[in-house]
This record gives sequence, structure tokens and C-alpha cells, in this order.
Amino acid sequence: MPGTPYPKEQMHRIAYTKLSERQIADKLSTVAVSGPMSVSPLSDVFASKSIRIVTDKGPALTYTFGRTNRLSVAENGGGAVETGYGALTLSSVAFFSHMIPGTQRGYAVVIDQDTNLATVFELWFSGYQDNREVQREIYYGYVEQPGQQAPKTRHVTTNRVEGKGFYWKQDNGAETLEFYPSAAYSHFVELSRLGGELGFCGPSDYIKINDELYIYTRTECEFSGTFTLYVMDLNRVEQIGMRLGFDTNDQLEYYVFRGKGEWLGQLAQFEKFGDESGAPVPAAAGGETPAKGARRVYRPLRTMPKMSKADVDAVVAKRTTAFAAATGPAANMGGNRGPNTGWLAGKTLTLRYDNAPAMEYRFDDAETLNWRKEGDSSWTKARYQAWESMPGVILFGHLLEGAPNHDGHSIVVDFHQGLVTCFNGYLNTAYFANEAGVKILFGVIEMEGLTPPKYRRHYFTDEMVGRAVSQNYAPGLTSMHLYSTPHSLSWIIFTESGAGGLEWSGPAAYVKIRDGLYFMYWLEEACNGTLGTILVNLHTMRDVGVGYHCGAEGLSMSAVGAHERLAGRFDVTRFYQVKA
Amino acid sequence: MTTDTTSTRRSFLKGSALLAFPLAAAAPAAVMADDGLKARLARLEDEAAIRELHQTWLRRINTRAGDAATPLFADTEGTAFDQAVRSIAADHAGQPDAIEVAADGKSAAGRFQCAVDIETTIAQDCTLARMAHAQGGGFVRRTERRVLKVEYVKACGAWAIAKVEFALV
Repeated sequence: MPGTPYPKEQMHRIAYTKLSERQIADKLSTVAVSGPMSVSPLSDVFASKSIRIVTDKGPALTYTFGRTNRLSVAENGGGAVETGYGALTLSSVAFFSHMIPGTQRGYAVVIDQDTNLATVFELWFSGYQDNREVQREIYYGYVEQPGQQAPKTRHVTTNRVEGKGFYWKQDNGAETLEFYPSAAYSHFVELSRLGGELGFCGPSDYIKINDELYIYTRTECEFSGTFTLYVMDLNRVEQIGMRLGFDTNDQLEYYVFRGKGEWLGQLAQFEKFGDESGAPVPAAAGGETPAKGARRVYRPLRTMPKMSKADVDAVVAKRTTAFAAATGPAANMGGNRGPNTGWLAGKTLTLRYDNAPAMEYRFDDAETLNWRKEGDSSWTKARYQAWESMPGVILFGHLLEGAPNHDGHSIVVDFHQGLVTCFNGYLNTAYFANEAGVKILFGVIEMEGLTPPKYRRHYFTDEMVGRAVSQNYAPGLTSMHLYSTPHSLSWIIFTESGAGGLEWSGPAAYVKIRDGLYFMYWLEEACNGTLGTILVNLHTMRDVGVGYHCGAEGLSMSAVGAHERLAGRFDVTRFYQVKA
Repeated sequence: MTTDTTSTRRSFLKGSALLAFPLAAAAPAAVMADDGLKARLARLEDEAAIRELHQTWLRRINTRAGDAATPLFADTEGTAFDQAVRSIAADHAGQPDAIEVAADGKSAAGRFQCAVDIETTIAQDCTLARMAHAQGGGFVRRTERRVLKVEYVKACGAWAIAKVEFALV
């Protein structure tokens, strides 16, 4: 019985094979000659034609097309090479792709037949320390027309796609949700390949052909290295494109595809009005000339410290901080958290969780509490901080000194309803000991004068799914969350111009506290291991929360707080419904 | 002596015109006038040299040129200028620039009202900050109106910057 195709390992957990150049060459050898596969009938738009493509800072490509998806190509007037190709058309655009036999290189070419403008993508393997990661260089040019002058315009990078989102279904059945909340990255949810549980991110190019037609690319850096390119018609919601790379089983995927989709919505953009420029993240540092194919790629797994349990125990013993002063760990992330509340000072209460031991509390003052698990005789003192996000709803957090996995609790207590929800962070997780895991604890508050409900609890919600909310934590620290699936969110970092720049994502969950008040977490898995927790108040548009992190510098719990803006919402919850 | 950069040229022309008559009319007074003229000329030359030094220093700040071949500071300590300052522009809405050369002609002080672009680097202590740095950002820029107070010294016949201080307007 076929079921939802959840993977054994999510993409960020797969140890992709480090393919050698030789292995890649062997796998390419046959396909390079035959050309890409296609489910849809290939176009004969180029059959029996010869064209010469001139690019501004790249090669001149002379093509002679045969009748049966064969072409010969000469680069820069060199010797012609024969190979297989696949072509498709969409509106005025003709697209084709081919490899160069005997090499690990190939091309993807987009031609607007109305203007004869051409954008050429040179693609190659073995250009980065991870050979399987497809590299790309983009050349802008035109198809030479005998007797005519070269056109003065070119296709251009753009932010006009930024904020859009589509559901796509390719002719081979592959279904994805694809979001473009950044002008430099994109976020995608593999519905049919991976069951749509989590979303992932990759560096992307956005190129304008005209107001309706755009070119999009994505490279799955940090994952399989697969490259996807397509031309999309925003009005027809159709796409043609290609995919090149090696899958989880190291099988070569090289095919062209046709797809249809659904428009999911549009998020706000935060650039100045009139700014339609693209590629907001420079490929190289100021003053430096970028190397061929260079781009800024966020590689969090490569840069995160990876610690053993012994390392974690040692570093926690050496340095543990809770809500350090303004210069402490991640202090800037709490820049807009607002004033603390001292409401808990002097109070005694028990948080009785359904699925974990009850926790007893005695609050000495606004920043000191004593906790013990029910049944224990001794109390442990801890530093805490608390914020009253909505009347009667307080978020507070503290570390559990002495817990074998160095737990930290981020807790929302609702004194109007007598309910509590706790995100219980802990270390010594399966992949890297310093990477945080989380348990979600639901329960009730027991204290004098308060009778909690017996059955009612805070509960998971999809009310935030599809929304995007920007955060300003402190001057210069501005990001946006895209709650793309019920189980993951993506964060986008704005550039100085307000464009969406680098983007990444992680597992997440959303708990409804009240209307307009949501408690959520995200895990920076295979990133830097942080557990982020925030209580989002859509009435005040401020979030407060707690970050829990362990790294080489020690274990820390720190305040998080931001002013927020609603950036829009994608209509996606229907894709995550459990269907009969 | 304090001069306004906006009026220096006019003052010089005016002064020159006034001096032209006595030089031709009265010989005894000419000796005194000659001394005064030399002193004035020396100061004008000093001011011009300081102004040129100031402009050169501003160019180095604004272009991030770093240490050029010609040293501008009297000692290397003075070159350790606040790296947070990215650029300095004249504040034409403020008071005119003022350069005052000491009577002995060996030191001077300058006051320049300006708009200072200050860039503060954000600590890379969280994912967001790391990503901001990775994409070429990770700083906060702001522009502030300041008074640039500069002390100069003359050594071996050349002016150099002894001290730079930004003060609030």
C-alpha cells in the first residue's frame, strides 16, 4: 500500500556521497551524448536551424540543430561537438539544454523569440570542494540576426519575483511548493518526493525576461547539489525547465520538464519603492572580482561547531549563562523584547504537565526562581526573565542546572485559562551533542486561587502556516519568518537595501495560546544548533522569547524580542491536510 | 587667527587691495607693513597647507585608502583613527570651518562641522548576525552631526595632524 513518501532521513541529515570527479564523469558519459530525458514531447523549434548566440562576457556559441534532438555546438569558434539536447517552448520562450560530451560541462539556454535576447547558463560539476554540487555561470546576450545590429537590452536580474509562491506539478509527477521570499534564495517543499514535512532552501537566481516571464534557478547547496532551472509564466502559471544533479542514491538526474501550477499568494517586499534590482547579495566582497560561478552561499553545517557529549559536558561546566547582560551571548536578539514583568515575584505554583514530571516553582523576585521536580526534596535556584505578552499570559525561561542533558525550559503560562505550554530544550541529541532538541509539554497551572481546566489544553495550530512575519530585533538585525509548513519555518535575512538575502530553514511547531497569540519554536538543525522560541502577538506585533544554545563558548539562554510586521500569507494549508 | 573658509578668499583679496596703496605711498610705514604682510602671508600659507592636509586626510577616510606614502600624522599613534567612521562630509548647514594658527606658527587648531557616517559592526553571536555578515552586511550605519576638532603641529616645515577628536555639536 503506497503511503506518504517520508524519507528515512530528511535532506539536512543525509550524508551525501562525496562523489569523485571520475565517478561523476562515468555517470555523465552516456547521458551527455544522449541528452536530457523528458516526459513531455520535446519541441522541434530548433530542428534543422543554425544559430549563433553572442554573450557579453562569455562565450559565443554556434549551434547547428539536427532533426532528432541532436545538435552540434562550437564554443568561441572552436571545433564543433555533437551531442543530444532537449528543447521545450513556453509562450515566446524557447529553452534547451545539453551537455558537452567528454566533459563535466553543459549549457542551459533561454531564448526569447520575440526579442532574440538569450540568457545562457554554463553548468558544470567538480567546481567546488563537493564535486556533486552543480556550479553555474550566467551570460547575457542575444541570438545574432544577419544584417541586424546587436540589441541594446538584455535579460536582467530582478526582485520582481520576490515574495511570490507557487505550487508546481511537473509532467513527471513531481509536486513542490516553491516560495521566493528572497531575491537571492528560495524555499521549497518537496511534496511528492519527501512528503512535504519540511521545507528547504537554496541559493537562487531570478532573471526577468519580461513582465510575465522570468527565469528561476536553484542549487541545492549543502544537500545533493542538484540544480534546477525553469522559465515561468506568471499569468499562465506554467513552467519549462531542467533538473541536473545526483539524487540521494547518486543516480544522475538530467531531464527537461514542463509543469503547471497554482499561484499561492504574494508577500510584501521591503525594498524602497522603485527598486527592482536583483542579485542583492554581491558574489564577492567589495572591490573584489568574483570568480567564475561565484555566489554567496550559506553553508551552516560546514561552519557549525560539532561537539561530542563530553565536549558539551565540559563546556557547560565551564560557562553557562542565563540572560546575560547587554554584552552577553546573542544580546542583540533581545533588543526589542520590551520590559520584563515582575508579576511572578513572590508567587508559588506548580506546572503540572501531561507528559512530563510536574515542576514546582517558588519565585523569589523578578529574576530569581527556585524549581524542583515534584517529589524532589531540594530546590534549585535559577536566573529567569519573564514578559507579559498579553494580559495574563507570561513567557518565562530558565535553565535546569544539573539536568543530565542540560535542559532549558521556555514556558508560556496563561493565568486566565490556567494552562501552560513548555518547550523543553535539551542537548546530547543524536547527530551533534551541542545541537538542541525539543520536547513539547502541555499542562495546567496549579496555584492558590486558580482552578485549571481538566481537559482543555493549548494546542498545535496551522493558523500561522503560510504567513510571513518580519522581525526587527535591533538596528541591523532584521529578518523574516516564513511559516511554510506545519512542521518547519524558514528565516530570511534582509540586506541593507531591504531585499531578502540569505535564507535557511529548520523544523518548527506552532501552538495556539489565544486568538492572535502563538507560541512557536524552531530548531537550527545542521546549522548552529540553536532552539529558538518566541511568543508572537499579532495584536501588538511584537514577539518575545528565549533562545537556547550550546557552542564552543558555552551554554546560554538569552532573551529574544522583536518588533514585527505582517508580510503576507500563502494559501498552503490545503497541501498539508491529511486526506482519506 | 580665525578665518572662515567661506570668506578667506574674499578677505585675502580685500586685504591685498588695501595693502596696495600704503606700499606705494609711505616708505617708513612700508617696513612695518612689509613685516605684517610677511606674517599674514605666512599665516595664509599655513592655513592653506592645513586645509590641504585636512582635505587629504578626508579623502583617505572616505576612500578607505589606509596608509598612503605620505604620512599625515605627527606620530603613528595618531593614525589609529576610529575605524567605525566610514565617511566624513562637510556640514554646510553648520558653522563655517575655522582654522586658528598659533602665534608662533608651530601649532594650529581646526574646527570643522561635519556629517559623519558611522558604521558599527554587529557581533556574530547569533545565526542572524552570522548570516548578515555572510551576505556582506552585519553592521549598523548612522549619520551624525559632529564637530571635528583637529590639532596640528608643524615640524620640519610641514604640517601634520597631532590629534583628532569628534565632539557633539
